[in-house]
Amino acid sequence: MSVVTSLDFDGGTDGVVLTLLDNMIWPILAVAVLGALVFVPQTFTNLRSIELLLHSSVGLGFLVLAESICLISGHFDLSVGSIAGFSAMFAALVLSPSNWAVFASPVAGVVTILLVGALIGVVNGVFISKLGINPFLQTLAFLIIFEGAKISLSSLPVSDLPSGYTAIGASAEVAVGALLLTFLVVAILMKRTPFGQSIYALGSEKESARAVGIDTDRMIIAVYGLSGLFAGVGGLMLTGYTTVVSPDTASGLVFPAFAASVIGGISLFGGRGKVSGALGGVLLLGLVQTALNLSGIGVAQIQAVNGLILLIAILLYNTRSNIRQRILSAEATQ
Amino acid sequence: MSTTDNTARPDAPDADPETLIRFENIEKQFGRLVALENIELEIEEGEILALVGDNGAGKSTLMNILCGVHQQTAGHIYYRGERITFSNPSGARDLGIETVYQDLALMNDLDIASNVFMDQFPTRFEAGPLRIIDWATTYERTGEILEFLNLDLDPHSEVSFLSGGERQLVAIARAISFDPELLILDEPTSALSVAGTELVQERMKQLREEGHTQVVVSHSFEEVFDLADRIAVLYQGEIAEVVSPDEVDKRTLTNLITTGRR
Repeated sequence: MSVVTSLDFDGGTDGVVLTLLDNMIWPILAVAVLGALVFVPQTFTNLRSIELLLHSSVGLGFLVLAESICLISGHFDLSVGSIAGFSAMFAALVLSPSNWAVFASPVAGVVTILLVGALIGVVNGVFISKLGINPFLQTLAFLIIFEGAKISLSSLPVSDLPSGYTAIGASAEVAVGALLLTFLVVAILMKRTPFGQSIYALGSEKESARAVGIDTDRMIIAVYGLSGLFAGVGGLMLTGYTTVVSPDTASGLVFPAFAASVIGGISLFGGRGKVSGALGGVLLLGLVQTALNLSGIGVAQIQAVNGLILLIAILLYNTRSNIRQRILSAEATQ
Repeated sequence: MSTTDNTARPDAPDADPETLIRFENIEKQFGRLVALENIELEIEEGEILALVGDNGAGKSTLMNILCGVHQQTAGHIYYRGERITFSNPSGARDLGIETVYQDLALMNDLDIASNVFMDQFPTRFEAGPLRIIDWATTYERTGEILEFLNLDLDPHSEVSFLSGGERQLVAIARAISFDPELLILDEPTSALSVAGTELVQERMKQLREEGHTQVVVSHSFEEVFDLADRIAVLYQGEIAEVVSPDEVDKRTLTNLITTGRR
């Protein structure tokens, strides 16, 4: 693994602390599960409730994956939610018999949503790498443009979708299985392939990555293309979960996506973090959301809690970085 | 004013078998600015050649031509007597010329092994574009290179927490991983502490003993006199003189650098 872990150090206590810092999400998740069991026991009444919790997290999960890859590469993507919502709406209109009715085939619908997502992502990447536009500003512009474009396409929900198309996201087993499998494949890609390591290199020092021979422009385009693709998959899963695409599909999901990535240990400054940790972040947010829903708290308050979680995630990240730096500096000078 | 000469010349001059690189009448212009002219210089196998000169004398331009970043406007470069042309750093790398830049080009968040083998990882499986890194071999080979450099470092250690000298040596370790014929070092000790400087200079001497040819661009007289077998002094884009450290003192070298004359 390219990131230093406790295994590299002989110091027992420091080693344990570093391991905990690098995998902080899992003890936090364990505490959250215990808290839910004590204060909102109905969260885990039976297997069905756990299945529901996981199923409801799938759409967000793909957006977190999209965001995590961008963050590791040292970039931002504020447009993941808008890409998911727009591509879902576009594909829905393409498939809907009462709208554009271009295709009836669910496969064509899946190809459409993934292509639209990936294409928007590639455009993000080209603008950022080739035209030198700041990633924050570029993806903020696309957030606004595609949020508006989604509503412009249809101000009414689109519900007459082929059942084969919605079945992917509607089936808890298929959707959760697809999420876990995708996280596994991406985790292997990031750790075991030169491509994945180049993403870490790009996020760590872009100029150094370029100097050692990595085509950084192509990598940035690939990263945003992947981000757009996973945002498109997120749109597909959200469509299936509700079997309808409405103008507010995937709206506001970019901030939970950031929160889950950061709380899962992905660095806001690039070069660090594991996608497995980001999956932990998805589970934590899903759990908190479900527990709050079941405890009867209103939607507005849930939004505030989401914001609070994002703030806590950033504070935790800062604290973790400081502690990590202190320990490793001490090790280096010994 | 010379123009770029791309015509191949089959009758390359006979080269001394110990000459690794020979510059013949190299000229480089940037627009109307003549950065280098009449450069005649030989780099002998196994030596440390220091390239010195004042700011703007042309050291970096000459180094950048040698490592493929710039192309000469006129003149030829011979490698073991064969005339060569390359138009980018990877062309230089293919010929066995590796450069350690002043900024080191390290990735601080990654460990030593990833820095040494980034973009050239050993693989254990390849199928089309899919390649799987062989991490065991990566760490093993990094360990071997670190051992060769007498560096007591764990290949898993994160680069950002290394000392300046160790970071410089990790950059050298990366260059060595390509098994280069010629190692170009740009100001290798300018940002280092006394201990770091000593560490790096010791390893450079060791590399010379192992037969590695090195070109060092340096501002430090101590380094030049301590390390170099020969010193090439650049003055206003031309080679003022190539001298042995034994035949000049600091005052003479200063005169050569500042006036082009002894």
